[in-house]
Amino acid sequence: MLQNLHQALKESIKSNDFLQTTLHVKDKRIHLTYYKSLINHEQLHHDLLSYIQISNCEINHLHEIKTLIPLEGTMVSSNLQEIVQSLTHGSIFLQLDPHLNEGLIVNIADPQLGHRDHNDTENEYSVIGPKVGFVENIDTNMTLLRRGLVSEKLIYEEIIVGSLSKTRIVIAYLEGIANHQHVNTARQRLSDLDFDVVFETSLLEQLITDNSNSPFPLFLSSERLDRIMYALINGEIAIICDGSPSIITGPTSLFSFLISPEDYYLPWIMGSFFRLIRYFGIAFSILATSIYVATLTFHYTVIPRDLLGPIIESRTNVPFPPLLEVLFLEITVELLREAGSRLPTKVSQTLGIVGGIILGQAAVAAGLTSNILLIIVSLSALASFTTPIFKISNTIRFLRFPLIVLASLWGGFGIMLGLMFILGHLLRLKSLGSPYIVPLFPFRSNSYSDSFIRSSFSYLSNRFFTTRPRSTKRYSVQKNKDIGDDYNNE
Amino acid sequence: MQNRVKENYAISGSFVFFLIGVPQAAAVIMNFQSLVIGDAGQDAWISIILAGLSLHLIIWMVYKMLGNPAKDVIDIHRSIFGKFLGNAVSLLLVGYYFLMALFYFRAYIEIVQVWVFPTFRTWALAGILIGMIYYVVSGGFRIVTGFSFFYMALIPMLALLYLPFRQGNFHYLLPVLNHSFIELLEGSRSSCFIFFGLEALLIYFPFLKLPEKSVKWAHFSILFTTIKYLLLMMITLMYFSQGLLKHTLWPTLAMSKIIELSFIARFEYIYIFMWLMIIIPTVCIPIWCCTRIMKRVAALKPRLSLPLVLAALFIVALSFKERTQIDALDKFINELGFYFIFAYIPLLFIIASVAFKLKSNVK
Repeated sequence: MLQNLHQALKESIKSNDFLQTTLHVKDKRIHLTYYKSLINHEQLHHDLLSYIQISNCEINHLHEIKTLIPLEGTMVSSNLQEIVQSLTHGSIFLQLDPHLNEGLIVNIADPQLGHRDHNDTENEYSVIGPKVGFVENIDTNMTLLRRGLVSEKLIYEEIIVGSLSKTRIVIAYLEGIANHQHVNTARQRLSDLDFDVVFETSLLEQLITDNSNSPFPLFLSSERLDRIMYALINGEIAIICDGSPSIITGPTSLFSFLISPEDYYLPWIMGSFFRLIRYFGIAFSILATSIYVATLTFHYTVIPRDLLGPIIESRTNVPFPPLLEVLFLEITVELLREAGSRLPTKVSQTLGIVGGIILGQAAVAAGLTSNILLIIVSLSALASFTTPIFKISNTIRFLRFPLIVLASLWGGFGIMLGLMFILGHLLRLKSLGSPYIVPLFPFRSNSYSDSFIRSSFSYLSNRFFTTRPRSTKRYSVQKNKDIGDDYNNE
Repeated sequence: MQNRVKENYAISGSFVFFLIGVPQAAAVIMNFQSLVIGDAGQDAWISIILAGLSLHLIIWMVYKMLGNPAKDVIDIHRSIFGKFLGNAVSLLLVGYYFLMALFYFRAYIEIVQVWVFPTFRTWALAGILIGMIYYVVSGGFRIVTGFSFFYMALIPMLALLYLPFRQGNFHYLLPVLNHSFIELLEGSRSSCFIFFGLEALLIYFPFLKLPEKSVKWAHFSILFTTIKYLLLMMITLMYFSQGLLKHTLWPTLAMSKIIELSFIARFEYIYIFMWLMIIIPTVCIPIWCCTRIMKRVAALKPRLSLPLVLAALFIVALSFKERTQIDALDKFINELGFYFIFAYIPLLFIIASVAFKLKSNVK
């Protein structure tokens, strides 16, 4: 490169926020090149220029400036490619003589610029427990995790992904606990990736997933600090992406989507109870409307005589077959949900009331649907929102529709067929190469203390084999000394 | 061993409990009673115990013959009959497993058509089920195993038969043991079809991890099936009179008709639909065995052989139209399976152990 570096930079970057200025310090001139929009101006004046100006010694060489500036990450470079790269990351380029083909790169980027500094975990709310959530800034997220897990075992591995965005992706895991196979798989998939802009971890998830043709999320994504920490200590790995407030963990199983951090903060009886309610909610939400369609279309004899009366009564004025009736209501609920999630909170609350109550009542009064169906549909909509993770509740709401159609075609046989297909699909799914429905299959009997119910902490002292951790012991169980086994209080 | 199964394709040895158990809970659970009482009458339940006990011996033979090092029946055939003849015999097994799959498959289609949807076309029903079977079998043996595991979820449903049991008349079981031993054995023979399905063990044996340690699970499975059918048989004998039972085609379903809870009645529908969960792995296991034999013997890739086998299953299943034809198929399968389990396996066991002795003597 024989061309003047200063000139070359000017020609290669045409953006208006790209500045090249000259500064007079004593009898010397310093040429600065930087993106106005990227650097921290306070740092530029306070930490960089002021030190150069107040110094007494003569500045003749770049290395002298380098020793003057109290900043890390400075280097002398003459490679145009490298300079452009670091300028786009928020560095400043200093030259003493624009005709010399070298200059000093000083990193004074402002990582906080344009980011919010806290997140109240509004999307994954829990009544008890910390409300600390991740933010868009990867360094803040890494700090939060590092402060939560005070151990040298916590390892961060950084990979740059994205030809345009140059997004920093960090794989976090606990050395000696996470299985190397999972780390290797994640590292390999990330480094093989070719994509232009990585916006979000959810997008990243689809790029590195084991099966992209599945309605089920194969990585758990969460914005809660406690949840990610819990995944890490159980031997999972976490993938953090710059610019995304949620972190994904894997290998995950279907059942971890039904776990709420609150299960662990409440006594185990309460925690287990709420968890079982969630399981029931999911089963109800998937099956209720399709069973309604199946029984009323084909198998009305399954309904006992006493129950048949009220059902017939509520359906006497409805002119449609059960399938249309159900689809009408289900789609109404989906519209309400979709509209509610696109509108500001206050508007959507009003909309929910107007849509939910008035529309529902009016539909019954107009004879479009039956009362009983209205109850079933709204209950199953409600039940689908009991899942702690947003993504799985989408899956559940989606799975309803093929089942309704199957039920209208072949009744209970159709529902069963759909369920069998889902089961077969679940059996085939893998997350980071591990089976998706552990501990059911492969059967891991030691994991049952924390799957359908959450047992007391004295049974949770070992990590489960579901993530194949390298060490299984979490803590040792000790009984408090003042609780005796002596029932006579002697 | 050239056919050593890779570690990540193998399954835990205890899953043999489900792999053996699932075909034994298939469609025959709905109609075995009327076929069994022919010879032993009200003592049919003793016949079932006898049949169950004798099968423990068969399981022992299979594990003895195939274990240490784990190999399948194809290897046994090769080492006894030589490469060419042994492969030919193994190919005959494809036919056997195919017929087994057909037996389970057609029986379930018939139940659905008779009890739920009389107008449901056989080709449509068969087509849907075959699509499902293709999806499961193409996932590999682990998926088939996983599927068969979930049948345990349905077994508690049989507890609802307590309600017909309450209606039962204990005196129908009396007098006990008024049949001769020969008649009891005849009864055992005609009831052994409820235990079909353990023959597939001959093929998937190398897929089990530590088979010698898991032998107890195979025995548990037989024991579980024996107890299950024993109880079911006793309930049926108490519920029906023998004259009525002889003319009832699906006694289990007929009994379940009287079960009624406050929100649900006509339990036979629930049973029939839920049994899909058992039928699919039951058909998948023999189909998988067919593709496995073809792969080992003829080096035919499952990607090719699976559609072939399923297409054949579809066409053959359609050719059975009348109840009498299906009945004839059932009778034929009962005979075939009986001789396969109680003649072929012991014979192979004796020949194999003699051949093994001779070989070690020569050495």
